[in-house]
Amino acid sequence: MQQAVQSKSMSSDTNSKKLSDFGARYGIHLALLGLIVLSSIVSPAFLTANNVSNMLLQAAPLGIVVIGQAFVILVRGLDLSVASVMATAAVVATSFDGQPGDVVPIILVALAIGVATGLANGLLVAKRNVSPFLATLATMIVLQGIRFAYTGGAPSGNVPHFFRIIGSETVYGLPYNVIILAIIAAFFWVLLHKSVFGRQVYITGGNPSVARLVGMNADRVIIICYVISGTLAAIAGLVLSGFVGIVDNWVGRGMELDSIVAAVMGGIALSGGRGTIVGGLIGAAILVVVFNAVLLFGMPVQFQIIIKGIVIVIAAAFYVKRGA
Amino acid sequence: MLTLSSISKSFPGVKALDQVHLDVRAGEIHALVGENGAGKSTLTKTIAGVYQPDEGQIEYDGEIVHWTSPGEAKSAGIHVIYQEFVLFPHLSVAENIFLGHERRGAFGLIDYPQTDRDARELLQRLGVEIDPNDRVSELTVADQQMVEIAKALVHKVKLLILDEPTAVISGHEVELLFKRLRALKEDGVAIIYISHRLEEIFEICDRVTVMKDGHYVDSKNVADIDRDQLISLMVGRDMSELFPPRVGEAKFGDVVLRTNNLSVNGRVTNASIELRAGEITALAGMVGAGRTELALGIFGGLPMSSGSVEIDGETFTEMKPALAIKKGLGLVTEDRKGQGLAMQLDVAANITASDLDAVAKYGLINTIRELQIARDEIREYQIACRGPRNPVATMSGGNQQKVIVARWARTCSKVLILDEPTRGVDVGAKVEIYRIMRELAAKGIAILMISSELPEVVGMSDRVIVMREGVVTGELSKDQLSEEAIMQLATRHEAA
Repeated sequence: MQQAVQSKSMSSDTNSKKLSDFGARYGIHLALLGLIVLSSIVSPAFLTANNVSNMLLQAAPLGIVVIGQAFVILVRGLDLSVASVMATAAVVATSFDGQPGDVVPIILVALAIGVATGLANGLLVAKRNVSPFLATLATMIVLQGIRFAYTGGAPSGNVPHFFRIIGSETVYGLPYNVIILAIIAAFFWVLLHKSVFGRQVYITGGNPSVARLVGMNADRVIIICYVISGTLAAIAGLVLSGFVGIVDNWVGRGMELDSIVAAVMGGIALSGGRGTIVGGLIGAAILVVVFNAVLLFGMPVQFQIIIKGIVIVIAAAFYVKRGA
Repeated sequence: MLTLSSISKSFPGVKALDQVHLDVRAGEIHALVGENGAGKSTLTKTIAGVYQPDEGQIEYDGEIVHWTSPGEAKSAGIHVIYQEFVLFPHLSVAENIFLGHERRGAFGLIDYPQTDRDARELLQRLGVEIDPNDRVSELTVADQQMVEIAKALVHKVKLLILDEPTAVISGHEVELLFKRLRALKEDGVAIIYISHRLEEIFEICDRVTVMKDGHYVDSKNVADIDRDQLISLMVGRDMSELFPPRVGEAKFGDVVLRTNNLSVNGRVTNASIELRAGEITALAGMVGAGRTELALGIFGGLPMSSGSVEIDGETFTEMKPALAIKKGLGLVTEDRKGQGLAMQLDVAANITASDLDAVAKYGLINTIRELQIARDEIREYQIACRGPRNPVATMSGGNQQKVIVARWARTCSKVLILDEPTRGVDVGAKVEIYRIMRELAAKGIAILMISSELPEVVGMSDRVIVMREGVVTGELSKDQLSEEAIMQLATRHEAA
């Protein structure tokens, strides 16, 4: 009798487990699909070519940052400095005269800022055992100060035409910045999911002691992940500066939290070692769709913030926990 | 006072307790002894209400009890002092003593003067001089232990259980502890005393109950037996049928690995051992004897503080896992979840982790090759799983262990160290792991097996090295080998 009861509860256990497996795996895809369907029913303007193209334009910088954030979260970290890197890169981009010849130096300087920040973060976390929160908070603040000192409080200058095109124009309806996102995503997808380094990322994030005992240089893996995040943030900053056109000291503000939220909603576990790039990008897409829908539904902009909070609560309480 | 009859308790895959009896009287100190894994901890946790027995009954203070939580047992006067103290280092002694039972004053706020007075009184009863206002982190380990005992007195303790209380203190402190335990005994408190230091049992205990492999063996008056009799009660049993015979005749090659006065900071002192090709050497000793640390020192998982490791004639004073792997070493760690497997990843990724170069070209992983290797290993070691993409987290302990063994067996060419390779695995997987060890040895690999299970040590090894408290205390060849001889070396009386 007792055995019968046990086996019955066991089988219902496996059923619910299958269900939650499915939920953990495809819940995020379904959520995005549901949002899109809902939005297009409520607002006919949602699925117009113009609006979709607009959303993609907005999604690209966030998507680029999320990819970097994904690497960092996979090795049990998080990167709060990304928005600061973006703004600093953007400020650099505008401080030149806007001549075509400035493009290459701008890109090099921006990338150098991203790499240096990532290196600082990675060294602090891996070699000094500073918590990722504190390390990246500190570099965020330092960069912010450097930026203010550099601009004297008010950035001036023009965004070179090249970045304007990259940031806001389209080719055959496809925004350039989305093409850049696609190239970056493809490259880092291969790196994470197909390369030896990617495997080292998963093992280091999943269990750092195991990584060390199977002969991997876990510290180096962690440092490289932060460098990837810093570099991608710098690229995202340039792309975003081209989208906005004018630059202030706060380009990309809020992007550090948005990117973490997107990554976590996309199934990248904060405990490390689990998640995919595609998941992170879908998380980013959900955020963008939600923001867009708020505007299309005629709600005031402020509602974006409230809804963002609600989305996080829903994701954290009903989706992320089950996945983790 | 406390009578356990026919208690059984199973966990998935293991029967931890099988028809165990225990009878403890008020005012006695009752020793509970057995090898590691005999079920002592499970039994104490059952008494303390942490686990509920599957079968059998517990009679306590004249009543049959069915505790569903540790809280119920505690309020009935049962207090357990675990090996790891449950103290909050940044709180004061007094705050720790009354944790969860704070002395309250007006408005439900904590009445600190009262707390202080009561703590002082309790500590006085124990006869120790500790200032209740001191932070616990500032106390010596022995004093921290006294705070643990003081916590027990808050609840009018009737049954006190101490799990290896002398593992963390020494000499004079032990004497003081014994004095206080005797005083508690005079007050009519029943004490269950778990220790592997047999001489202590003869010094302080009145009766002793012996357990083995989750079974009850016997209970004796301590006055009626001697040390050798006690040891034979603890070890006596035949498990030889589990161990596959050696394939062919034993042929040992040269020494492939040697440690020269290897020390690992505070845990291993001047260990010098030799491993020969084709030989299975066991490293025996009690938990905490420094065996795991010696293995990690050899493999580079822990830094050597002095001494060196010699592999095939090449001497290293510094070692890193990557280098050890390159030199043909492998290490199956004791702690599967903590140090053995990346639980979220699949079987294939875990098998190839130590040698990704073998499945990669131009930095990219050749998935087809990886899956092929994983399938081969799954077949070779009969790993039960849905395939190479099965996450290891969902597999049984024995199969997880086989994944780790497969990983290292594939990449190690000279020395394979296995730390408690059969802990927590079922009998079938055990036999399988023994078979793999025999095969690897026959191929000429030197095997170092760390094991706390004496039958396993005797059944599998060609030679045994015994450690105690970080020091190699002796070596036994095949013909000197017996569980009793190992126990003597592992628990040898401290030269007083």
